[in-house]
Amino acid sequence: MKGSTLAMNKNKFVYAAFLAIAFAATLSACRDKRSTGMEYARNMYDALALNPDQPVSTTNEYLKSFNGHAAQVPPAHTKPVGFTEYDEYPNTKEGYDAAGVSMVNPLPVDTVNLAEGKHLFTVFCNPCHGEKGDGQGHLVKIEKFSGVPSYFAGASSRGGNMADLTAGKIYHTITYGVNNMGSHASQISPTDRWKVVMYVQQLQKGQ
Amino acid sequence: MRDISMILKSVWKSLFVFSAISVLAVSTVNAQDAKEGRTLFKAKCSSCHALDAKLIGPALTGVSDRHSEEWLLKWIPNSQALIASGDAAAVKVFNENNKVAMTSFPELDEAKVKSILAYIKEGEPKPAAGTGAVAVKDETTSGLSIAGIVAIVAVAIVILVVLGRASKLLERLILQKQGIEIEEDVPLKVGIRKMFKNKKFVMFFILCLIICLGSFGWMGMWNTGVHTGYQPVQPIKFSHELHAGINQIDCQYCHNGAFKSKNATIPSLNVCMNCHKAVQARDKYDGEISPEIKKIYNALGYDPETQKYDDSKAKPMEWVRVHNLPDFAYFNHSQHVVVAEDAIRKAKGLQPTEPVCFACHGPVNTMEEIYQYSPLTMKWCINCHKETDISGQKNNAFYAKVIEAHEKIKKGEKITPALLGGLECGKCHY
Repeated sequence: MKGSTLAMNKNKFVYAAFLAIAFAATLSACRDKRSTGMEYARNMYDALALNPDQPVSTTNEYLKSFNGHAAQVPPAHTKPVGFTEYDEYPNTKEGYDAAGVSMVNPLPVDTVNLAEGKHLFTVFCNPCHGEKGDGQGHLVKIEKFSGVPSYFAGASSRGGNMADLTAGKIYHTITYGVNNMGSHASQISPTDRWKVVMYVQQLQKGQ
Repeated sequence: MRDISMILKSVWKSLFVFSAISVLAVSTVNAQDAKEGRTLFKAKCSSCHALDAKLIGPALTGVSDRHSEEWLLKWIPNSQALIASGDAAAVKVFNENNKVAMTSFPELDEAKVKSILAYIKEGEPKPAAGTGAVAVKDETTSGLSIAGIVAIVAVAIVILVVLGRASKLLERLILQKQGIEIEEDVPLKVGIRKMFKNKKFVMFFILCLIICLGSFGWMGMWNTGVHTGYQPVQPIKFSHELHAGINQIDCQYCHNGAFKSKNATIPSLNVCMNCHKAVQARDKYDGEISPEIKKIYNALGYDPETQKYDDSKAKPMEWVRVHNLPDFAYFNHSQHVVVAEDAIRKAKGLQPTEPVCFACHGPVNTMEEIYQYSPLTMKWCINCHKETDISGQKNNAFYAKVIEAHEKIKKGEKITPALLGGLECGKCHY
């Protein structure tokens, strides 16, 4: 009698162990690339603070005005620290001409600024405008993009020669874009834009 | 009779050859024009015009039917002069296109304009059959191969069982023929029960189970919360292989936050529109806008026909986050890719052509769909921090500060926590 109960217990123990380990094994083995797999304390991955690219609860009373998304424009009459306004030169022909006349590069032309300008140029401009600024970037060569002007040859679409564009006009173009080129204001900060302008003006010499 | 037919035949032949040559000559001249025109069109016109779609300016297919060649020869080199002269057609075109002045092209002479018009008339040369076909990647390869292996194993087991039964049957038949009595088979249930009464077998069975399932369980527990290989379905089928690989666009173009801040940032859709205002992949979808690019337009409330944005129709894109650190772990992108770039490059053995991002994110330029390459576990962080050599970092403001502080300590000067960045908000508040 005693022996048989022991045997029963042993069997039960084996069954229990088997079930527990098999459960863990199936959970870990069946990894689907579309799922994150087994997780412990999932709430630690979901921050309380809003993630910039994730949906926001629409039922939360305090967040109702967010309309479900975290990306928001700053409240009225506020501006972020270090934000440079560019209102006096609007995205018009007049604004472009005015910027061309009165804006000057606030940064001194030196090797550090030029090196940073070159790096930024390589990242943001080179794909279309090409390493030398001749309008023959990689995307133009593989025919994904076309109609990119050269910095040192030909006429600008807004009058004058490309080689004669002033710093203010180049800055205005980077900020607002022109024709098929989009605005790069969200990607390049004002200071960095001036560094790019500095480098572009070196390329305008067509060396 | 025969002679006449021969003569006729030869006459016919020569006529045919002559006409063929003349047609060929004319068409090659046209092709030459159109080819030159295509180059000119790509260089001069395509920043504002496309053949079949309205961009900044109108679509140009059939422009020769809408206007006389004489008029176009005046318009293209200097449209503003033509408008100023009060030409009715010119003023109408100017007004129809939001009064955007077309660039003057004094460098385009009559021959060049004519070759551009020839190209517009002929249209984009059709790619040879086969070259245009898009190679479709077999996404189900891994699934299929696993299923294949399982099937092979299953078939092998079935064959073994069948063969075993057959040999047993044959044996039995032979024994019967020899007149030897055979014991009846014990029922399976009784057999198994008998087996489990054997203590040695039970011990062996349990040992096997513990080793087998224990290792599985161990692996499972180690991989809990480790998202390596996680590849969720994204709302737009954005291919890093195409953008970062084939098009060679720098990571920083879209993820520019990685070099400035803690967060690498997912680009907002205006960054997509820097290129996709013009790039619509119409050649791959029978002249229609690519359905994936259309998703960008829909999300922005952008109408490609009028080129206007309607904010009331805009709906943000809900990307699925791939890399997600738990809230209690602090990671700063710019600290790694800007300050520690050289050290990381050396430690991970990256090529100069590869961006420093590859050190942790893997070969992104070959990933059609993005997935998590590194485990992002604490052990993984720690190991890298143990092994990476940061000596010999030049022009590094952080280490310059550290050395400066050490010099001061050596000289016995007063050093306060504030001097070492102790007043930074982030030191205490997080």
